[in-house]
Amino acid sequence: MASRKKPMLKVIILGDSGVGKTSLMNQYVNKKFTTSYKATIGADFLTKEVLVDDRLVSMQLWDTAGQERFQSLGVAFYRGADCCVLVYDVNNAKSFDTLDSWRDEFLIQASPRDPDNFPFVVLGNKIDVEEKKRAISQKRAMGFCQSKGGIPYFETSAKEAVNVEQAFEIIARNALAQEESEEFTGDFQDPINIHLDNEASGCAC
Amino acid sequence: MSVSSRSTRDPIYTPPESPTGSYYDLSDDNELDYNTITHTSTGRSVKLLYSKSKVYVHPSASQKDNIAGFMALLQQKAPAGQSSSSSSASEASQVLLAWIPESALGDAYDTYVKVDLIDAESPPRQSYLVPPPPASYSTGSSSMGNYAFAIPVSQIYSMLIRPPNIGWWWGSLVINSRSGDSFPALFFHDSECASTIAQSKRRARKTFDPFGEDGRLFWGGDEVLRWLRRYVRVEKSQVEPMLYLVDPTKEDLVSFVTKSIVDLKINEGSSSAGAAMDPITKVFKEARWGLLERLTRVTQFTRRTAETILDSPQVPPQVRRLLKNPEVVNLQDEFDSARLYLARWAMGIAEQSEREHQRMIWTNRDIMELEDTDVGEFEILEMDTGRDAAKRKPLTLQEWNKWFDRHGKLTVTVDEVKDRVFHGGIEEGEARKEIWLWLLDVYPWDSTLDERIALISSKRDEYYRLKGKWWDDFERRSNDEYWRDQKNRIEKDVHRTDRNVPIFAGEDIPHPDQDSPYSEVGTNVHLEQMKDMLLTYNEYNTTLGYVQGMSDMLAPIYAVMQDDAVAFWAFVGFMERTERNFLRDQSGMRAQLVALDHLVQLMDPKLYAHLESADSTNFFFFFRMLLVWFKREFKWDDVLRLWEVLWTNFLSSQYHLFIALAILDRHRTVIMDHLRQFDEVLKYVNELSNTIDLKLTLIRAEALFKKFQRTVETVDRKRAAAQGKGKGVTQRRPVAARAGSSSANVTASGSSAATANGTCTVEDDGPSISDDLRKLLSREIMRPDPTASSAASASSKP
Repeated sequence: MASRKKPMLKVIILGDSGVGKTSLMNQYVNKKFTTSYKATIGADFLTKEVLVDDRLVSMQLWDTAGQERFQSLGVAFYRGADCCVLVYDVNNAKSFDTLDSWRDEFLIQASPRDPDNFPFVVLGNKIDVEEKKRAISQKRAMGFCQSKGGIPYFETSAKEAVNVEQAFEIIARNALAQEESEEFTGDFQDPINIHLDNEASGCAC
Repeated sequence: MSVSSRSTRDPIYTPPESPTGSYYDLSDDNELDYNTITHTSTGRSVKLLYSKSKVYVHPSASQKDNIAGFMALLQQKAPAGQSSSSSSASEASQVLLAWIPESALGDAYDTYVKVDLIDAESPPRQSYLVPPPPASYSTGSSSMGNYAFAIPVSQIYSMLIRPPNIGWWWGSLVINSRSGDSFPALFFHDSECASTIAQSKRRARKTFDPFGEDGRLFWGGDEVLRWLRRYVRVEKSQVEPMLYLVDPTKEDLVSFVTKSIVDLKINEGSSSAGAAMDPITKVFKEARWGLLERLTRVTQFTRRTAETILDSPQVPPQVRRLLKNPEVVNLQDEFDSARLYLARWAMGIAEQSEREHQRMIWTNRDIMELEDTDVGEFEILEMDTGRDAAKRKPLTLQEWNKWFDRHGKLTVTVDEVKDRVFHGGIEEGEARKEIWLWLLDVYPWDSTLDERIALISSKRDEYYRLKGKWWDDFERRSNDEYWRDQKNRIEKDVHRTDRNVPIFAGEDIPHPDQDSPYSEVGTNVHLEQMKDMLLTYNEYNTTLGYVQGMSDMLAPIYAVMQDDAVAFWAFVGFMERTERNFLRDQSGMRAQLVALDHLVQLMDPKLYAHLESADSTNFFFFFRMLLVWFKREFKWDDVLRLWEVLWTNFLSSQYHLFIALAILDRHRTVIMDHLRQFDEVLKYVNELSNTIDLKLTLIRAEALFKKFQRTVETVDRKRAAAQGKGKGVTQRRPVAARAGSSSANVTASGSSAATANGTCTVEDDGPSISDDLRKLLSREIMRPDPTASSAASASSKP
């Protein structure tokens, strides 16, 4: 039954508050940028249909609050993730320094079957800001990604739509690969797949 | 009238030892012969024991139709052969409670006025004789007009007594007879009633306590209760807040009065005609009086709409098919969020119809229809709560100022203020600026004006002292990583908080900090004030510090006060109530989500079962609403209104959970029909933002709270009765087994009726009330567990 369904990919976007998670997501899905986003409270998601190698997939992008303490309730939506996007602000060293702990936190909460091979993507956002404010060089960021087992790295600007499309294409591709590998290992527990249990949860009224 | 001219000059006057043989100087209450005195016009008389003037019948909503009259307690002569000094029961049958319009009194008017003005604990020593009231005590017409009535107090089954509410309604009284009749609602216009004015003044002089029953202001209805209590037992129901029972039977006591007496043997046969009626039916029959006033029609229509939405001719047939045909259901999955889209669309139609019908006014025919159909408990409750919705005008500064004496001390009770704000809100502008400081505990309720002036001045100093702590130490602190992080967090959050609100909009001054990400953009003075206040709060509450969400909560307060020091302390008051939301370990948020879980389990088991099947009982989709008190869900003006309502803690300090429940309840049909997964539920609920009608939500929340209150009572009583104990049963969690749980949905009616009829067998499957739920009845602010928060602080800093 699941095989004839269009795959639903679940992507979690993490990173310090104010690095541009909501903006990146909206730029990618709605092709819009505005400075008027409010700080995200709780969680929300956007869905986008994408073609990956001629396969139509539906990608659910989960946006979360950036302050650490709000992550403890995250289990509810970390489960069943197919890819995790770690975002930092290239002009903010602190937001780069915390990438590691965001990654660890995710692995603990989502507890994927094979944590070593779980797909992450790192995005260094806000490259539109003047160069003198830049705090983290591309070289340093790539070094970090290399040391974590070759995490794909993109430098983006949600504001000017730089590299956003490209980054999410890789995210979709890696998520799909992850989804398929999970399926291959017989994981039918994926709670985000809304196609699996129509009969089971049929309308109660 | 010559009858009483000699003896009424002074109520305390004692007749001389050996008067003439005049009938008119009778001073003995037990005197048997007064009924033989011939009244000039009727040839018969009764004794007027008490009277109260300016008690009105309001036959319509129009003031000019009001009929002024007297409420009176009258004693008629005992039937021949029966000694009046026998039992109190026979005395009660001779004493009549009556309402007679002024216009029907004729010559007796003066006597009624006199008796009204006699201010004494017991009936006058003299006998004041008046013509008998209308003979029948049915609601039918009498010779004195359509509304006059008199009923032996022994025939009164219950009374619905609603005390006055300043600026909102008159105190009122409705009498229900044992034979099931309801008399017209009587409204006590206390401000016109000389005796009530005199009595409340006297009380204030004598005891410095202007308050009557339950700590409310003394009013005319208190007097009527006092009269009656001389002749019959009057018990206030703990279940129905406005209900008083007269000489209640044991069944009635069990059903209505208090759980402390449930261990009375409830199986004893019924003894009165009143008890023959299912007590719950009776309550609702009685509750109907509320419908006689103008109502807004709220729920019933909507419910019907939402349920039949798919059969509506407005729904395009292809959409209907899409949703209904099981073979097409699969198709829905091919479209992302098709169900969501349709669900929202369906709700949109329902909302619109509701808005149109909100203005609809009850006509007699509606009421008749209502009587003929099964009116659900909820509809009755909600309509009762919705009554006077139109009169819910915001509290103005003018009205507020009238409540103070010359020392600037409040002369009304705190509860009255809260009641007023809870139901009407506060007018924007100066009124809010002032009254919010009270609601947020900046001003003590018993303070004088001088005290408040001194207080605000010392608070102002204190604010600047706190601010100075980091301001004067800026360089050093900037090297502290935690402090710098906090500062950056505040910086980012303030620049994205309510920028669409005029005072926070735009940038007109250069940014003072070159390192800020906003240094290029600039800032404005109000943003800078916000940042300073939040950094100062970070200084003030070192355990918690600044947490995301706080900027959302400060902005409305600052915008209203526009004075940093004053707004700061108001904000501190708000944080006192919501500190739990921001704890490092999120235990406070978890606790509230759990409480909401239990609440939905108890109040709407069907919906709960559906949410369970949708893997959504973590209630995470309410996280945002609960964290910042619906700040992101309502429009700015509505947020201000909602918050001032919540700040009163009038019904519960956890009332925000009932707002959440009301929102959920509003959308239950859509959720149950269309949403099957956690992500769908979350998306749907998130997107309710800016679509929720606050007025309807508040009305619904109040009705739900009252229903909850009753349900708790009923469950406790039922369990206590089943276990033969006098106490409610507390369990850590509600019983999870909800087999056949639709009955739990109507526990308030279903199970207590069963208890009262003695048909309740030991049936332990019903829900029990968890501690989490019971706490929702409390008006005390819930604070974080001190051990938990200090642990949290320890880990929140490097």
